[in-house]
Amino acid sequence: MKTFFKILPLAFLLFLQSCATIVSGSRQTVKFSSEPKAATVYINEVPIGKTPVEKKLKRNQEYQVLIKMEGYQTYETTLSKKFNEWYIGNVIFGGLIGLVVDPITGAMYKLTPNELASNLIPSTAVKVDDTDIHISLSMHIDPEWEQVGQLVKTGD
Amino acid sequence: MKRLVFLVIIGLVSCSPKIKSNFANSQPKLSSDENVALLDLEHELPANLIKIGSLKFQDSGFSTDCSFNSILNRARKTARDNGANIVKVVEKKTPDIWSSCYRLNIDLYRFKGDIAALSQYQLTLD
Repeated sequence: MKTFFKILPLAFLLFLQSCATIVSGSRQTVKFSSEPKAATVYINEVPIGKTPVEKKLKRNQEYQVLIKMEGYQTYETTLSKKFNEWYIGNVIFGGLIGLVVDPITGAMYKLTPNELASNLIPSTAVKVDDTDIHISLSMHIDPEWEQVGQLVKTGD
Repeated sequence: MKRLVFLVIIGLVSCSPKIKSNFANSQPKLSSDENVALLDLEHELPANLIKIGSLKFQDSGFSTDCSFNSILNRARKTARDNGANIVKVVEKKTPDIWSSCYRLNIDLYRFKGDIAALSQYQLTLD
């Protein structure tokens, strides 16, 4: 039992090497949804699919995001890399290996949409946690389009 | 403790490649709707170009965000900011024993013709 208690702190320290890489991983899932659906999502001008769609992105890069749909205003944002607090675990618990590994894997960062740093565009909701970002938006009709009619739900 | 702080600072500030730029003939900024062609070594430049400037991406020694796609994406943004719509790779060093980064020399041009018709590199996500 004494041996167990001697090994436990050592195992704990070893486990906490590369804190951010273990806890967060080197990629972050970004989920996009829109109302109406089927808007095309472009990341760095590469089309990744139509909403709802998700993509795992490397944490150590910055990305330009465009969500486009004909007849609606284009939504534009940037996913920036911010400091991932789990990296501090390496300093607190003495994980020297992690201090090097986490920057290499990119886990010392977390992607954050720029709206969170400034003002959120109206009708846009963003949820960020350690592993996922969910960007949900209600698209605005392009003001250059002229409304020529309106569908009305009947009682039949 | 000083070493730890030093490592943290190095990790925070130096993960991007070192960029040297030289703009001799900047043009009005392009909007994000205007296409920019990415030409690799094997892609030929069209005629009647205006040279805007050049970029040199190097390994800072601690760079981690330095893949081919990532560097070209940065170059495209810089091109738009300076009114260029062609990014031409003129020298390319692939990752090797000395560096895990791509190191590129890039020229930026303004082309008045149809950009979409040019044979070009298609950017992908890493």
